[in-house]
Amino acid sequence: MYYVELLLVGLVWGCTYAMMALGLTLVYGLLRILHVAQATVFTLGAYVGLLVANHAGSLAAAFVAAALAAGALGPVIYRLVYQPILDKPPFVALVASIGVLIAMEDGFRLIFGPYGLSFAKNTWFTTAYSFAGMTLNLVQIWMVVAALVLLSVFAVFASRTRAGVAWRATVSDPPMAEGFGVSVTGVRYLAFFIASVLAGIAGVLVGLLNNLVEPGMGAVISYKGLAIIVLGGLGNVPGTLVASLVLGVVESYGTVFLDKVMDRDAIAFLFLIIVLMIRPQGLLGKAG
Amino acid sequence: MSLKSPSKLLAAAALAAAFAVPAAAQNIRIGFHAPLTGFAASDGKTALQGAELAVEQINAAGGIHGRKLELVVQDDQAKPDQALPLANKYIGEGLKVVISGSYSGPTRAAAGVFQNAKIPYISAYAIHPDITRAGNFVFRTSFMGEVQGRAAVKLIGDNLKKKKVTLLTLNNDFGQALSAGFKEAAGKFGVQVASEYTYAMGDRQFGSIVASVKKDGPEVLYVSGYFFNGGPLVAQLRAGGVSVPIVGTEGFDTHNFISIAKDAAEGVIITTSLDRDTKLPEMRQFIDDYEKRFNVGAEMVAASTHTAVNVVAVAMRKVGADDPVKLREAIAATKDLSVATGRISFNALGEVYKAAQIQIIKGGKFRYYAVIDDPVLLAPPTK
Repeated sequence: MYYVELLLVGLVWGCTYAMMALGLTLVYGLLRILHVAQATVFTLGAYVGLLVANHAGSLAAAFVAAALAAGALGPVIYRLVYQPILDKPPFVALVASIGVLIAMEDGFRLIFGPYGLSFAKNTWFTTAYSFAGMTLNLVQIWMVVAALVLLSVFAVFASRTRAGVAWRATVSDPPMAEGFGVSVTGVRYLAFFIASVLAGIAGVLVGLLNNLVEPGMGAVISYKGLAIIVLGGLGNVPGTLVASLVLGVVESYGTVFLDKVMDRDAIAFLFLIIVLMIRPQGLLGKAG
Repeated sequence: MSLKSPSKLLAAAALAAAFAVPAAAQNIRIGFHAPLTGFAASDGKTALQGAELAVEQINAAGGIHGRKLELVVQDDQAKPDQALPLANKYIGEGLKVVISGSYSGPTRAAAGVFQNAKIPYISAYAIHPDITRAGNFVFRTSFMGEVQGRAAVKLIGDNLKKKKVTLLTLNNDFGQALSAGFKEAAGKFGVQVASEYTYAMGDRQFGSIVASVKKDGPEVLYVSGYFFNGGPLVAQLRAGGVSVPIVGTEGFDTHNFISIAKDAAEGVIITTSLDRDTKLPEMRQFIDDYEKRFNVGAEMVAASTHTAVNVVAVAMRKVGADDPVKLREAIAATKDLSVATGRISFNALGEVYKAAQIQIIKGGKFRYYAVIDDPVLLAPPTK
């Protein structure tokens, strides 16, 4: 049962990664930008969620507020940071993105203080369910539920709606899509909005799961997100999801069996190196 | 004063030059570096406040032979690569003594520089063993990790009367030293280390460790770390249904630990240098004055920098502030000096001896639990 519990812990971590990495892969698919600054959106979501939860006492309101705040910030970053440099080589956007991440991290530190904040009443965290010798708390359960629901909604959106078709068309051939009357700019804003809403919700969930919201909380998960989209095959959405879950599980076992040798983040990148040596195209191969 | 126009700049330069001439009542400048930005910024800020309070108190009481103390503060971001330029700047400015209010990384890197320059250097709370090994100009006012680990064994074996322990160890020098000291002394108190899991500075999610602790079923946990990772760790252990006593270290000695872990912090016992219920006048006064001055409870980090400044001040009263070699001798001779962290003495290596204060968190506050004053068990290394 211990091994099953570790598996569950890993799947919960994997769901966190999935919600972050899906956004990264969306942005990469459209613009070939490694959107490291997604971490900023994630952290903003966590702070907004925490402040609303602590003042209004409602987690539902916290999630709505976090999704809206994050959903607004992503497109703003696109408009102000990426759009003016779209004609430059991709590394220019990457450098700009890292710049935004560092600046915003210190911004959070100035506004909310360096110490980190925790939820006044984290009932999801303290409500635990035990079965067969294993314990899961409500945050862990909601993490999985949220990932499943949001990613399913996204799958339906991508395959069944006009906007979804427009998005897929723009990914595979932007000039052709534009020729058929698709607003490429609109698709980009939409992609940043979706990516950011997912990141914002993930931020609140991770804040609840860690019982801590702090200025630098997004950095590691964002760099890991980059590792995941490479693992999944760049721009490949199903590959990204598989890579997220596999990495979560590898980390869960790694943190208790390899802990004397290397830490959790090192495990993630070692795993990346090994996979890329065996399958340079990523776990499920590159997108179309 | 803003220095926008060239004429003002010139005037300022002239003014600075005028002050550069040695004057009888010139301030005594003490170097002080701490991580004021970056991941360790909260400890850095607290450390600076402790030192500032000490300087204010000493100056209010007339300073050192009529001269006022002045801190020359630099930010090291807790990064070793900031330490060399910073140390050289202090040396270039002719400072005669420097205090580290920082972590081991920068402190260890700077220690050698100050040793070579023959300038006394006091590490207030950085714990790496190599720091004082840099030479006889380097001192430390905090417990070494090993010493604190040994105190925890005695606490668990003698006071709590528990035997089977699981260690949750932060994988930096602080955590490793605590763990090493703990394991070394475990046998003497009949304490058995059932298992040990290590985690990284950046970890905030401990689901796999919580599951492992439940599988191992220890009677007590010995947890190292700081408030920002230890706080979530303790909260996640409690939420995951682990109810055995948790023994922590001075890394948890901050109200931030309690404000993050909240109810889960209740009953956590730590080994530290600060007793909130102390009757020692110097420690009592520090705790009360700190709270009055900064509107926040005193912490180990601040008590340590406050101690370091006072060690320097006491030495300066004896031998003056201008000869670093004499100053070193006076600091080295510190014996049974009552300060914010208790009654302290230095050994030949420049390491401190003091009693270990055991505090328990009750009603959201650190309270007295026990004191371990065992000169043999808590003897710092001499080489």
